[in-house]
Formats: sequence, structure tokens, C-alpha cells
Amino acid sequence: MLANRTIVRLEEMLDDAIEGTFVEDKYDESRMSRLESRWKDFLSNSVLSNKNLETERQRLEQFISDISHQTKTPMTNIKMYSTLLSEEVSRGEDASLEKIRNYSSEIEKQTSRLEFLIESLTKLSRLENGTLSLSAKKEDTNKLIRTSISAIESKAALKNIKIILDDDNGLTSLFDMKWTNEALVNILDNSVKYTPEGGEIKVFTESFEMYNAIHVVDSGPGISEEEAARIFGRFYRGNEVKQEEGIGIGLYLAREIISKEEGYIKVVPNNKRKGGEIVVYLRK
Amino acid sequence: MSILEAKDLKKYYGKDETLVKALDGVSLNVEKGEFVSIIGTSGSGKSTLLHMLGGLDNPTSGKVIVDDKDISDLKGDELCIFRRRKIGFVFQSYNLVPSISVYENIVLPIKLDGKKVDKEFIDNVIDTLGLKEKVNVLPSKLSGGQQQRVAIARALAAKPAIILADEPTGNLDSKTSQDVLGLLKTTGRKFNQTIMIITHNDEIAQMADRIIHIEDGRIIENK
Repeated sequence: MLANRTIVRLEEMLDDAIEGTFVEDKYDESRMSRLESRWKDFLSNSVLSNKNLETERQRLEQFISDISHQTKTPMTNIKMYSTLLSEEVSRGEDASLEKIRNYSSEIEKQTSRLEFLIESLTKLSRLENGTLSLSAKKEDTNKLIRTSISAIESKAALKNIKIILDDDNGLTSLFDMKWTNEALVNILDNSVKYTPEGGEIKVFTESFEMYNAIHVVDSGPGISEEEAARIFGRFYRGNEVKQEEGIGIGLYLAREIISKEEGYIKVVPNNKRKGGEIVVYLRK
Repeated sequence: MSILEAKDLKKYYGKDETLVKALDGVSLNVEKGEFVSIIGTSGSGKSTLLHMLGGLDNPTSGKVIVDDKDISDLKGDELCIFRRRKIGFVFQSYNLVPSISVYENIVLPIKLDGKKVDKEFIDNVIDTLGLKEKVNVLPSKLSGGQQQRVAIARALAAKPAIILADEPTGNLDSKTSQDVLGLLKTTGRKFNQTIMIITHNDEIAQMADRIIHIEDGRIIENK
């Protein structure tokens, strides 16, 4: 009798699962109740993985449309300037020389923008599909910071921005040197972009029990609370710097990299402090 | 996929002129895998809300649905077992059992449920929370931050549908708090766990995917 009832209940559970209407019946210490709980877990997880696949597909679609949007503007500009350029050249007047110079420098600028976009996308896709895997191991945090700073020094110098580094003691953290450098360079590059002429960027470390933090503080306008959650989105760009060069992929890439090594990034919004501050937490 | 839903939750205490509306019509929805924070001043009703969501207290009216189950249908022992299986709690006080080791504390909810311990998963959780060297010691030998990490490990160990954390850093200094929150955030993502954290500190809230602001028993912001 008892065995029969068990079979009947199991059949019901299967039927409900097929219909998508399965609800746990009782919560007690019986094995049947425990089985129901685990059956529910299994069903939820399979629904979730289907849903994840769907989200992934939508993400990919969005990504492709983002890319075509991002490449369109520089392409259109290059085309326009090339036309203007050939017109000026065919005119062949002395006065044209200045214009020709301007057009070619414009083309150069747009080309490097495209180049940067494509490079970033390649890195991103390699990171996301796992062809290039991160290998986090114990590394010197200060070496990382110095390498990253040297990569943006010349760009900062062009705007007369002083970079103040306050690194002490040999802090070691768990990270992938190459990729984390990429992430930190992107964060520093962002700070240089937002900091006005003659401003300064401070970089310093802080040690916790589980994490080491790298603070990047600049004297730019900072990030508002509303923006704080969005700046790591793909192709997001701050309102005040829509005019500045850049495409809004650097911070997104940075966050992806740091997440992959089980660290995280925090933004300190500008109602908490003057200027911009981004903090990178790396696992110890 | 919704894992937690509250429908027009009300909790009133007293009556007539002494009537206190601790919760006055709160509705919300949490998706699986989300990291949500609830902020509000003390007395805003945020802890009352957490108690309702976790089935620790009954609402005056309204519904709480956890993992497709309306918990107001559950009574006594049923509710107790439901909580053990579906919800991981992390409180301000760590509530560890003092007489058993860190490891025994972490696997306690699994053993209570008569389930087999998924050793690989537990080891991963212990490693991620930096407790590898501490598994055999008694909780009293640990610092506050470490004890809270054990409490988080215990909450994760049973793979609950949702983890509810009530002021998890309330007893910790700001540096240790940052550590504990960082771990909640990264482990949540790593183990695909849904986490809801209650705090009065908006800097802590900043780290969540979504912030729900509650005042006078009502949601005034949900972004």
C-alpha cells in the first residue's frame, strides 16, 4: 500500500514537472519531502539554465548591434574626410594645404579610434569565450601598479597631469599580471580622460584581511551616484565627456577581468568625496 | 525567474491610537542571482520586512512567495523545515554553535536535513571565504570578521534559494566590513546565489545590483 502511494506521488511529481506546475507538497522530515525539495531544485536549475541561454543570445544580439553602431560613426567620418581630401587635392591650390593637413589628421584620429575599438573587442571576446584564460597567482601588487602607470604616463604628461604614487611594502595579491595590468591601465586612462589640465591622479594601496585595494583618485568631476552603477556597462559614457575621445569599453573590460579573478571594483560617488575614485579589490 | 516575491505586505502592531504600521503595503520581486540591498533608517521597517520574507514572523496581511511557495500556507514544523531548506540567514550576531568546530558549524544545516555533504562544494566555499586554516578550531578562537565569514559559509553550504543578511556588518569595524561585503558579493556571483542584504549604510548598499529604499513601512525607491 505504502509503496503504491509512493509510486503514485512520484508519477504526480513527474506530471507536474512536465506541465511546469510542480509545487512542493509537504515540508517534514520524511524522505519523500526531501526528495520533493531536491526535485524542485533540479527543475528550477534547468529552467534557469534555459533562461540563461536566452539571456546569452539576447546579449550577443545587443553586442552585435552595439558594435555596428560604434563602428559606423568613425567609418562615416573617414569616408567624409577622404572625399573632402581628394576634392582639395584635385583643386591643387596652395591654400588647400592647411585643409589637407586637417583632413588627414582627422582621418588618422578616427582610424585610431576604430583600431582601439577593434583591439578591445578582440580582447573582450577572447576573455569571454575563454580562448585566453586568466591565471591568477600570487604577484607583486606594486609591480602591477608601476607597470600600469608607465603605460599612461605620456598621455598624462600631455595634459600636465601629475601622477602621485604612494606604494609601500611588497603587497602580494592573487591576479593575472597581464590582464590585470590591462584593467588597471583602462581605469587610469579613464582618470586621465576626466581630469582637467594640470590636475593630479593619486594611486595608493590599502591592505585588508582578505583583499588588497588599489585606490585611483583623480581631480576630475567625479562620478555621481546615479552614474556609479552604470559606468561599467558596455559602451556607457559619462554625460560631461561625450566630446572626449573614447568608446566606453575600457571600464567594462576592466570589471570583467577583475571579476574573473574573484576581485571586485567599487566606485566612490562624488557626493562622498571631491573628484573621482575607483577602487580595485584583489584577492589576497 | 522570480525567487522571492512580496505582495502588499502589511504588519501592524497595537490598535487605535497606539497602532504602529511597521510595514504598510510593501511589494517587491527578487530575481534568481540578484544581489539586492534594502536600506532605511532605524525604525523604517526594514528588519520587520526581512523577518516576514524569511518566515520568522507572520504578516498582518499580504503574501510572501519563496521559490513558488506561498509561505503563509505553512505552519509550525513545516515552516521551520522550509526555512532550513530554502533560506540562508546571516545576522549581525554570528550565532555559531560554540562547542563544535568551524567545519561542523558550516555543515550543520546540511546534516540537520539528513542530506549528504557535497564535499567538493563545501571545500570550495571554505577556500573562497579564506577559512581553510580555521576549519578545525572552535568559533571562539576567531575574530569577529572571521566568525561572520563562517556564518556566510554556513548560509552558502546548504545551497539555499536565497540568502537573507540582516546588518551583517553591524558588529564589525569598517575595514572588516568591506572584507565581508566583498566576499558576499563575489561568492554570490561565484555560486550563483541570490542575496538580499539589509543595511542602514548607503555605502554598503552601493555595492548591490539594486537598492530598495524603505521609510515608514513603505518602499520609497526601487532602482
